[in-house]
Amino acid sequence: MFSDFDLELKPGEIIAITGPSGCGKTTLLRCICGLEKLDSGNIYLNDEDITNLPAEKRGVGLIFQSPVLFPHLSVEGNLLLGNKNGEISKALEEVGLSEFENRRVESISGGEGQRVALARALLAQPKVLLLDEPFSSLDDELSGKLVQDVRAILKQRKCPAVLVTHNRIIAEKFADSVISL
Amino acid sequence: MKLRLSSSCAVLAYTLLVVVPLWLAIDRVIWVAGFNPSDWINSLNGNYISQGVVAFTFLQALLSTVVTLAIGLPIAWQLGRYKWPLQSLIKATLTMPFVMPSIVAAMGFLHLIGPSGLNIRIDDTTWFATLIIAHAWFNLALVIRFCEPVLSTLDPNLEEQMRLLPAGHSKIGRIRNLWAPLLAPSVAAAACMTFVFSFTSFALVRWITLGDNTLESVMANIGSSAGIPNYMLARNEIILGASLIQFTVLLASLWLMSRLQQRRQNLLPQASEITVKRVNRSGWMILAPAVIFALSPLIAVFWASFRIRHTDSTGTSYSWETSGWEFAFAGSSSMSSAWDALWNSLGYAMITLCIALPLGWTLAQTILDVEKERPRTARFLDVLTMIPFAASSVMIGLGVMLGMIRINAEFFYSFWPTPVIAHVMITTPFVVRIMLPALRSLNPIYDECAQTLGIPAWRRFVSIRLPLLRGSILVAVIFTLAMSLGEFGASWVVTRNSDWTTLPIMIDSLRSIPYNNTYTAPAACAVSSLLMGITLLLFTWAEKFRPARDGGMF
Repeated sequence: MFSDFDLELKPGEIIAITGPSGCGKTTLLRCICGLEKLDSGNIYLNDEDITNLPAEKRGVGLIFQSPVLFPHLSVEGNLLLGNKNGEISKALEEVGLSEFENRRVESISGGEGQRVALARALLAQPKVLLLDEPFSSLDDELSGKLVQDVRAILKQRKCPAVLVTHNRIIAEKFADSVISL
Repeated sequence: MKLRLSSSCAVLAYTLLVVVPLWLAIDRVIWVAGFNPSDWINSLNGNYISQGVVAFTFLQALLSTVVTLAIGLPIAWQLGRYKWPLQSLIKATLTMPFVMPSIVAAMGFLHLIGPSGLNIRIDDTTWFATLIIAHAWFNLALVIRFCEPVLSTLDPNLEEQMRLLPAGHSKIGRIRNLWAPLLAPSVAAAACMTFVFSFTSFALVRWITLGDNTLESVMANIGSSAGIPNYMLARNEIILGASLIQFTVLLASLWLMSRLQQRRQNLLPQASEITVKRVNRSGWMILAPAVIFALSPLIAVFWASFRIRHTDSTGTSYSWETSGWEFAFAGSSSMSSAWDALWNSLGYAMITLCIALPLGWTLAQTILDVEKERPRTARFLDVLTMIPFAASSVMIGLGVMLGMIRINAEFFYSFWPTPVIAHVMITTPFVVRIMLPALRSLNPIYDECAQTLGIPAWRRFVSIRLPLLRGSILVAVIFTLAMSLGEFGASWVVTRNSDWTTLPIMIDSLRSIPYNNTYTAPAACAVSSLLMGITLLLFTWAEKFRPARDGGMF
């Protein structure tokens, strides 16, 4: 799928990768976070070769295209999966969802769900955050707001991130630089 | 592809558990009778014990299948398409017969058509019709379980789209172009399983027919004289011939069933659990008689447990007493009490659960892991897990018994948990059939997401997987307990020469006592009622946890 592909991310940098459907954007993210195996090549994180590490040991977070919230848990329960000692209220406040702790996941909207997924991913304190078209299932107004908010949070935390999207406009608003496949 | 260690161990353990007893039984009997399959088959029709058995087995299984579908499909349609008050209760009532021990059903139908019931025990035709209807009663659940989920969770957009297309303007058109293709795999799968269970029916054939035999009941009747050198060689040939036919036919049915179920799972579009259903008052004309049909044999059993027959010089009279219950629970020097049978049954069920649940689950997971890359291997494994359906419970019992004799007869005959071997063989396939669709429907994205959160494998299993599969696990637990409690065929063979009476064996023993003992028949019904009550309780509990989309069979 990829050959002679090199990607380097500086600390605190946000990059976006764009390309048409089927070009391998999601596969690239899945390889980085360990959900797919590489046929060849290496992945380094802070100079450590993580190529052969399982996904749960890489310290790489991933936000999926649709919010993946566990239906048997409340919002708080979902967040605790990210960090059982984490400050839930603070995490929710950071994403603009104060007092959502006890809400059931089926009662929240798509945009709210993505915010919860982001809060959960950040609670896990990832070394890098990957985002797989998280704004594509939202309407323009909502996605625009979310793009700004998420970028601000990531910059404040100095968390490097890779966004994958087919929407060039979102890519340019969200990232420091854009790569096209 | 490499299998996980747990998967490899499970497959190996299960293969040994299933193949070894069957091999021991067949090997022993071949050693006595000689290896000549054509002689085996010829002996079936040549010997007076087994003449006509093959034809009878096929005929009653085929008719049972047709009648079951004819009764079950309209019921499934009503339940799936329309809204009903107390829907869960109605569904539980209609599907409950499947988990009822076959011996209880046999007692129920006997009393329903006997002198204390409809009194229509006239001739062979009546018996035969009763057998077919009893099979339909049992297997109705299969038709409902396979077909109702397709009907009730289908995305309404599909039907709406079909109505707008020329092919779907008429009801016939919609049936031909939408419902028939969607339902065909489910109907075919239900038909396969109904055929399998009717083909291997034992308790119903034993008690309802007037001396007619199926392959299964013939093997049970003559099994105790099998495997003995130079003794009744013809019987060994009959057993081998019966086993060969039964195994071939059933294996083919199960292979087909496995293909159909996999295809069915792929065919089902992503469905909505929240569909708006209409009310259909005229549907009560179908559901009400169906509910009565489902409950009648059970009510007959309970009723008969209090009805005591008194015969003296003036004639026969009946009274309503609890003497039958007292007789059952008192026991005697020649018969265990119902308490002993109950403790044995419960003990065996719990041990069976501890083995069958993890084993069946691991097998289901193995099939799922393998089927992505090697679908044929997965289907082979799937059919392997269903072999106990293809091998009759009597053959399984024979295998366990002959295995015991060969390894260490004295130890095994004195080892109380011995019958558990047969129970695990028989219940593990049910666990696989329940867990496999549940695991297939579990979205892998949940596990992937948990991995990206750094959650280790054991915690993902406990915090994510277990809760999401909770409903199916509970159904598997309850089903395993119910099946073990009601297991009759294999236990009948294994425990015949021991003191380990179980509730079904006790029912059979009581019923076998000559009728001049006033209390034995009511006592058999009392024990049947006890077993029925426990099964009903378990089953009602299972219905609370069954996932709505579950079309996995049970």
